[in-house]
Amino acid sequence: MSTQTPDTDETDPQAERMARKEERAAEREEASSTPDVGEDAITLKVFRYDPEVAEKQEPRFDTFHVPREPGITVLDALIYARDTYDSSLTFRHSCRQAVCGSDALFINGSQRLGCQTQVADLSNSDTVRVEPLPHREVVKDLVVDMDHFYDQMDAVEPYFSPTEEPDGEQLQSRENREKIKMSTRCIWCGACMSSCNVAAGDNQYLGPAAINKAYRFYFDEREDDERQEERLKIIEQEHGVWRCQTQFSCTTVCPKDIPLTEHIQELKREAVKSNLKFW
Amino acid sequence: MAERYSSFSGGSTRWFLQRISAAFLVVTLAFHFLLLHFYHHAPEITFGGSAARYSVPAYFITMVLFLAAATFHGTNGVYNALVNQGITGTPKRVAKWVLVVAGVLVFVQGIRVALALMGASA
Amino acid sequence: MSQSHNRGLVEDFGRWREFSAGMWAWVFHKFTGWVLIGYLFTHIAVLSSALSGDAAYTNTLQGLEQLAVVRVLEVGLLAVAVFHIFNGIRLLFIDLGVGLDLDTQEKSFYASLILTGIIVVASVPVFLEGL
Repeated sequence: MSTQTPDTDETDPQAERMARKEERAAEREEASSTPDVGEDAITLKVFRYDPEVAEKQEPRFDTFHVPREPGITVLDALIYARDTYDSSLTFRHSCRQAVCGSDALFINGSQRLGCQTQVADLSNSDTVRVEPLPHREVVKDLVVDMDHFYDQMDAVEPYFSPTEEPDGEQLQSRENREKIKMSTRCIWCGACMSSCNVAAGDNQYLGPAAINKAYRFYFDEREDDERQEERLKIIEQEHGVWRCQTQFSCTTVCPKDIPLTEHIQELKREAVKSNLKFW
Repeated sequence: MAERYSSFSGGSTRWFLQRISAAFLVVTLAFHFLLLHFYHHAPEITFGGSAARYSVPAYFITMVLFLAAATFHGTNGVYNALVNQGITGTPKRVAKWVLVVAGVLVFVQGIRVALALMGASA
Repeated sequence: MSQSHNRGLVEDFGRWREFSAGMWAWVFHKFTGWVLIGYLFTHIAVLSSALSGDAAYTNTLQGLEQLAVVRVLEVGLLAVAVFHIFNGIRLLFIDLGVGLDLDTQEKSFYASLILTGIIVVASVPVFLEGL
């Protein structure tokens, strides 16, 4: 029996492999075109951009259909779309419980955390439009470059650095803890900065998150007077608190409900007061 | 350390003065409209009537302060708007001096008008 | 990360339908502010006729007041000034730390709009009388 002669009873292994491959491709094709997503599937429109893929160099929107599970979040929908249709769909996420701050996205025209936003709670829950955070450079799909945001956060020196080493444990009073409580909730997601019309125009503006961070230390009773003065000098510089136009955009979008505008206003008054005192 | 507080920092001064002038303008602008549109009627305004009002020192002083506050509040507001649009460097310096000159001109011209009206009935 | 995409400012004013109340308040305040400073310059220019004497002043002002378009523009000026005053008061309170929660700042903006509307409508007869 020659191996060269095809046996009519046996199929060619190559042809068999090809057939299996085609079958799998057909299955995949079927899965992606008509997966069983149900009658009331969510239409997910996602911003796509990838400088390394020819057809995605020009940004476009892809549409995915996602089954409407009770309580499904926008992040769940994105994960479903990625796992079911397109494994190249790229977005940041980690804890899925609004703590890590990685998945701030522009959802139906507003900055929100994907994990914290249930599709059912959106005013338009049929079509969910997901874009990367505005006013940040897009790296790929929904991933933006956060470097500038982190630079602004670092600019306010968000840490204690006492002039003199404290003698022992420094306890904070309950009242003082209450005072700064909300400001400590920041998760560095960047939603506020992205929503700010002034930050969009002025790249040097510290932005709501950084000013809130300064507030958190400025009003902490454990910060000494000298450091407090230095910190005030940072936030009352030209691109600091004065840039805020009280549009309330940041406060509106903050996923941790931090009263950002209020904190910025309080620091403005602190700056004016400290200047008036010595005038 | 004292020198840091020897004067207002630029942003803080302008921010504060913008609010002070605003509070003053709320009252004076409302007064101006009420007086010249509701108490007197705009179509009936004559040189004699204006001159009589300006001959009252309190009115004259109020109007001068009104003009000063409005000029500062307006030009500073325009400057803030431009800066918030993101202008920097040379355009920013040009905008600043154009606004300063325009502000001075409108203030001086306003004072000349006020003096002409005051002098007429004196 | 050799390359990234800058989406520019399309998200800003192109999305005006999604603006929140605070953003609208800012847009209106800026707009009315521009109109008012523009008017200040025109106003002083018109009143400068006083420098040319008694008759020039009276004739210029009364001549302008006879024009219907001037009267209508004056109603517009009133609307602009009244809104700027009310929203200005709102902003002064916000600067003083009063009315900063999201609900209050929205309501105070709507209140400014409504009060402006009422005052302007009520003033129309006075502004157009004798035309």
